[in-house]
Amino acid sequence: MGEDKKLILVADDDKDLVTALSIRLRAAGYAVVGAHDGDEAYEVAHESKPDLIILDVRMPAGGGFASIDKIKHSLTTRSIPVIFLTAFDDEEMREEARRQGAVGFFRKPFDDAEFMGAIRNVLSKS
Amino acid sequence: MSLKAYRVAYLGSDGEAALALENALKDVGFPFLRETCDPAGVQKAVGFNPDIVLWDTENSQPDEKFPLAVLREAGFDNQPLVAVARRNDMESAVASLAGGAVDFIFKPINENPLPRMLAALNVGQKQLRIDWCNRVIEDTNNQIKGVLSNLSDPAYIVSPEYQVLWMNRPAEEIFGEGQRGGACHHVFYDRTEPCEVCQKNKGSARWRAMLKNGKNYRFISAVVRNGRGEVEKLAVGTDITPDEEVQKIHKTFIANVSHDLRTPLAAIDQYVNILLEGLAGELTGDQREYVDVIRRSSFRLHSLVENLIDANKILSGDFKLRMEVMSIQDILDVVVEMLRSQAEDKGLTFQVQVAEGLPPVYADKARIAQVVANIAGNSIKFTEQGMIQIRGGFMPRDEGRVIVSVEDTGIGVPREDLGKIFELFYRVEKDKVYVEEGAGLGLSISREIVRAHGGTLWAESMEGMGSAFHFALPVHGTGHA
Repeated sequence: MGEDKKLILVADDDKDLVTALSIRLRAAGYAVVGAHDGDEAYEVAHESKPDLIILDVRMPAGGGFASIDKIKHSLTTRSIPVIFLTAFDDEEMREEARRQGAVGFFRKPFDDAEFMGAIRNVLSKS
Repeated sequence: MSLKAYRVAYLGSDGEAALALENALKDVGFPFLRETCDPAGVQKAVGFNPDIVLWDTENSQPDEKFPLAVLREAGFDNQPLVAVARRNDMESAVASLAGGAVDFIFKPINENPLPRMLAALNVGQKQLRIDWCNRVIEDTNNQIKGVLSNLSDPAYIVSPEYQVLWMNRPAEEIFGEGQRGGACHHVFYDRTEPCEVCQKNKGSARWRAMLKNGKNYRFISAVVRNGRGEVEKLAVGTDITPDEEVQKIHKTFIANVSHDLRTPLAAIDQYVNILLEGLAGELTGDQREYVDVIRRSSFRLHSLVENLIDANKILSGDFKLRMEVMSIQDILDVVVEMLRSQAEDKGLTFQVQVAEGLPPVYADKARIAQVVANIAGNSIKFTEQGMIQIRGGFMPRDEGRVIVSVEDTGIGVPREDLGKIFELFYRVEKDKVYVEEGAGLGLSISREIVRAHGGTLWAESMEGMGSAFHFALPVHGTGHA
C-alpha cells in the first residue's frame, strides 16, 4: 500500500518546521522526505524523484531559487511541481517564482487549509 | 507751470539749427551749449553736464552708424540722445533710432522743439530706470552665481534654446570644462533631442536623473532673467544617492526582520495543529483549551507583526496601490460579513446602508477594505452595547467625493485625545489602564492609505456617546489617479 503514497520533499532550514510538516503530511496520507539546505534539496529531489517539492527561499548552500533553477534544468526533475514556502513577502520574489515555473507561493505563517488544499490540488493533477 | 531747467547740449556745425534751438530754449530758461563734434567739443559738452544731448546727423558720413558707443565712452553715461537730421532725411532719423537715439528732430527747427525734447527726456528717464533695474538684476544674478559657485552640488544655466550658458565648478567636474555653448541635452545626457522634462516645462520643473558620474540627482529648475531681460533657466541638482542607499538598507533590514519574525510563527502554528488534530495523542479538555490559547496568542502576534511591517511600508512610502475603478459596495463586500459576525458575537446591531447611484471610485480594493476593517473593528472593540452603522454616501465637494462613515454607540474618544488618535503608536489611556490590546498603528496606517488615494480620513466623537469615523475618496475621473 505504501508504494501508492505520493512523495513530498519538504526543503527548509527550519528543522522544526520540516518535522511538523512531515508529521502532518504523513497524517494526511503522504510520504515525506526532508532536506535542510539548497544543495541537499536538489540532491534529494534527484535521488527520490518526489511528486511535489515544497521549497523554502532562504537556506544555506544555495537558496530555493538556486535549487529550482537546477531542478528545472535537469531532465530527471524538471517535471516535478514546486511550491515555494517562505517568510519573505515580496512581489518581485513571487513573480520570479512564477517565472521559474513554481506552481505555488505561500508565505509563512500560512493559512493551513489553503496550503493543504493546494498540495491536494497539485498532486491530483500529477 | 514751471519746468525744471534741463540742460541741453547740441553737437553739430549747423549754425542755423543751433540758433533756433538756443532761441527756443532761452524762452523756457533751459541752459544751452553748442559744440562741434570734434573730441575737444565733445569733451566740453560732457563738462557742461547736460540732461539731454542733441547729435546732428550731418556730423557723420552717410553710411556711418549712430555713434552711441562713442558718446557713452566720451562721458555721456546715461543722457538721452536725440538725433537732429536734415529735413525729411528719414533714413538718417530711422538709422539713429536703430542706433540708440531716443528720438529725432528734423531741421529747419522752426517749430518749438521743446515738447519732443521733454518727451525724449521722459523716455530717457524710463530707459534709466530700466537700465538700473537691469543692473540690479545683473548684480543679483551675479550674486546668485556666486552662491551657486560655492555649492558642492551641480548647478547650471541654460537658454530657452537649450544652450549651456554657465556651469558651476561641481557641474564642470561632472560634465567637463569647455561645454558652454553646447546643447544641454547633449552635454548632460548625450541626447540628440531636448529632454522631455524641458519640452514639457518651459519654466519651473523637478526631475531626477543619473548623471555621467553614475550618481542619482534630484533637480529643480526655475526661470531667471539676465541683465538684458532675457529669460534663462537655472537648475540645481542634489545628490540623492546617499538617501537611496539608506532606503535600500532600510528595505533590506525590514525584509530580513520580517522574515525572521514570521519564520517561528509558522512552526508554532504547525505544532498547535499537530496537538489539536490529536497527532500526538488525544488531548484532555484542559490541554485543548491551553493549546487554543497558544493558537490565539500566535495569531495575535502574527497580526501585530504584519501590522508593524505594513505600517513601516506605508509610513516610509514604500507601498504600491493596485488601483481599479470600483464601487464602494465592491469594497464593503470584502469586509462586511466578517465585521457583521464580530459585531453580532458581541450582541451589537450591525447595519450597512449604501446610497443608490453612487459614482465609482478609483481605489485599491484591499487597502480601502483594510481601512474599513480597521475603523469598524475599532468601533466594535470600543462598543459594549447598541449598534455599529456603516454608511456610504456622496459629498458634492470639489468634483464630488464618495464618503464612507462608520458610526458607533461606544465609549467615544475624549476630546483631548481626538486630535491625537491618528498619531503613530498613540493609544487612549483610560484611568491609566489600557482598555484593549493594540499597538496604536491602525488609524495612522488608515489615514496614510486614504491620503495616498487623494482622500481624507477624520473623526468625530462625544465621550460616552459614541464615535463617527469618516473617509472621503475622490470620484473616479476627477483627475486624481
